[in-house]
Amino acid sequence: MNKITAFFRHLYQAYCKEFRMVTHDQGIMLFMLFLPLAYPVIYSLIYNPELVKEVDVVVIDSDATPKSRKLTRMLDAADQIHVLGYAANLDEARDAVNSHKAYGIIQIPEGFERKIGRGEVSPAVFYSDMSLLLRYRGFMVAATNVMQEIGGEIRTENINRVVPLATTVVTGDLMPVNSISMGNMRSGFDSFIMPGVLILILQQCILLAAGMGGGAKHEHPELLGYNPNSQKAPATFTVMLGQIFCWSTILAIPILFLIHYVPLIFRFPMQGDLLEEVALMVPVVLGACGMGLTYQAVVAEREQVFVTWVFSSVVFLLLSGLIWPRYDMPEIWRAVSAVCPATWGVEGFVKMNSNGASLSQIKDIYYHSWIVAGGWLVAGWMVQQWVLRRRLRKYFKPC
Amino acid sequence: MGSSFSNSVGGIMKRTVVQIVRRPIYWFGFLIIPLFCFLFIASMLSNGLPTRVPSAMVDRDGSPLSREVTQSLGSMEMVDITESLDDFSAARNALQEGRIYGFFLIPENFQSDLLAGRKPEITYYTNMAYFVPGSMLFKAFATTAVYTKVGVAATVADMVGANAASLTPLVQPVNIQMRGIGNPNLNYGIYLGNSFIPACLQLLIMVMTCFTLGQEIKHGGSRRLMQMANGSIVKAIFGKLFPQTVIWWVVAFFMTIFLYRYAHYAMNGSWGWLLLSEGMFVLASQGFALFIFGVFPNLRLSLSVCALTGILAFSLAAFSFPVQSMYGGMAIFSYILPVRYNFLIYVDQALNGIDIYYSRIWYVAYIIFMVLPLTLLWRIKKYMMHPVYVP
Repeated sequence: MNKITAFFRHLYQAYCKEFRMVTHDQGIMLFMLFLPLAYPVIYSLIYNPELVKEVDVVVIDSDATPKSRKLTRMLDAADQIHVLGYAANLDEARDAVNSHKAYGIIQIPEGFERKIGRGEVSPAVFYSDMSLLLRYRGFMVAATNVMQEIGGEIRTENINRVVPLATTVVTGDLMPVNSISMGNMRSGFDSFIMPGVLILILQQCILLAAGMGGGAKHEHPELLGYNPNSQKAPATFTVMLGQIFCWSTILAIPILFLIHYVPLIFRFPMQGDLLEEVALMVPVVLGACGMGLTYQAVVAEREQVFVTWVFSSVVFLLLSGLIWPRYDMPEIWRAVSAVCPATWGVEGFVKMNSNGASLSQIKDIYYHSWIVAGGWLVAGWMVQQWVLRRRLRKYFKPC
Repeated sequence: MGSSFSNSVGGIMKRTVVQIVRRPIYWFGFLIIPLFCFLFIASMLSNGLPTRVPSAMVDRDGSPLSREVTQSLGSMEMVDITESLDDFSAARNALQEGRIYGFFLIPENFQSDLLAGRKPEITYYTNMAYFVPGSMLFKAFATTAVYTKVGVAATVADMVGANAASLTPLVQPVNIQMRGIGNPNLNYGIYLGNSFIPACLQLLIMVMTCFTLGQEIKHGGSRRLMQMANGSIVKAIFGKLFPQTVIWWVVAFFMTIFLYRYAHYAMNGSWGWLLLSEGMFVLASQGFALFIFGVFPNLRLSLSVCALTGILAFSLAAFSFPVQSMYGGMAIFSYILPVRYNFLIYVDQALNGIDIYYSRIWYVAYIIFMVLPLTLLWRIKKYMMHPVYVP
């Protein structure tokens, strides 16, 4: 019985001690509050226009016929394209692109209308600047749509001339084709990237805060609040648990803000069930806490986290499979990505939040995230017990 | 005067080099982390494009024609039909579970409706919560749909006794060919590597510049530094930062040469201008960090600001979402980042290989970043002489 009360007393003490340290440290508070509250808003605002619209292009119309002008007009009318003007030749058009006024060149060759009249396939060329793939994608979608649309009109005009008997069959669209974007109806960039980034922000804020806390204790071991050499020192496990509880309390509101309010404010897809999403966050947060406790082994100074951890956000982003799908990663990186808590958090959250999956549908991901969390907690315990406590024992006088 | 300058600066440089060699954290910051980031990004994206996207076919017709569509879809490089499902709900479930990234749905009675002119609709679904595989799949599905149309039209024409060859223009009278200048294969590695790797470098340069300077103030070495520089802040900063500049130059040139020479990233312009850009980029990033340090001469605060801007740069410098499409209030921040100019020069000089005339302004921007911190040297000097460590 005594052992149990001692456990809870130690747990409570560890919790309070950690709480005091965290709330009195501006640096850690910055990571725990500013990071999850301000960062997602800044990020979402950057991408908030969602779609790339009205990108400037120049047209070289060597045909100068009603049909070629019609093609230009239709492309201009497309959402993704804005025709800046006409260029007399390729040199002039290239100059517009080179001086960053336009990002594409549409070249309509001489004889464009004549070929249509003859019933041949009439080609045009769309040169696209390749610095940004989103622009290329917009051009491609617009060109495909215009091709279909103008094709339909010409078809109706020509139909009798070419194969009178086929009229009945080929009039209008023979086989209408629909394309539906799932999980992100407008194919917006913000709605695509942010749900995943939210989870990455959560993991990184835990890691940075844990790292800085570890550095602070390394510099000022008195922050520890107990003498590890004493017989009455709390067990490593108890202290760890107290810390994790403390971080979770402080992060509770930021987590809710991240997974519920940010998508609400910026109108991202919100197909998931909030409770199930919270259930997914439990192993993700635990895994990140375990990882943070492990990371403390190499932080000797508070400010070192900026050198050794900040860059990893990019690494975790690429490992999460958000940009480059996990199934196509090189073997080694897929293995590395499998042990990151954020990977499973991102995978699960995107599927729930954007695709409307239920927790039971992503049970494999969920189990995996618990395994990863368990692994990191064990690693964290080992580091705390055998590396950090040993190091601290030397600092304190033996009792 | 000349010799005293070289003496004092030489002493500081020696001190800086010894500091760097002695502490493992510097090894990490200057070499191990940048090279790890570089190798990680380059190897992660080495495939160029994710191919063989897992997808499903929902064939509710089961006729010869629908099976033909399945076959032609399966033969596309981008698509890997991993599942054949019975209905929409099963396919939606597979997509939600993450087994597939999209599916192609052929309705029941497809063949008979088509031949009877009842115009059956084909629908394809792509998961745009995953942009890259979703877009690849969209492209493959759209192409398959067009091929199917041509095939169907030919079958129908045969039936009414018309020559099938004459029908192609009827299905697609106008053909707009897309040509991607400089990156015709849409290599995603070229696109992402060229922006993410310099952005990583900028982040680390900024963090390390503030870290090394802030450490002097935190551990009380800044007075000694000023003493060695005979009270001249210019000498102190030069002696402190120039050895780092050399390290960053080596790292940056190694990356550039590796990427364009051995990883065969698109290199259509002049090596000279590109290397000049990388060299100036290092100085500009250091200058930018020094400016931040001048505004916040405190280790943690300056590092926080560097980390914030350095990480935001990945989005703000508009490597994926164009500046022109951002809100004006956001877009202006894009131009206060050195890596933005690195990106613009890479596009002009390496990807598009155009005349240097068009990029001249980007190089001037680098110079502004280098000159900027000079306006705040007095402030750095003040804090160097009277160090205050604020945790």
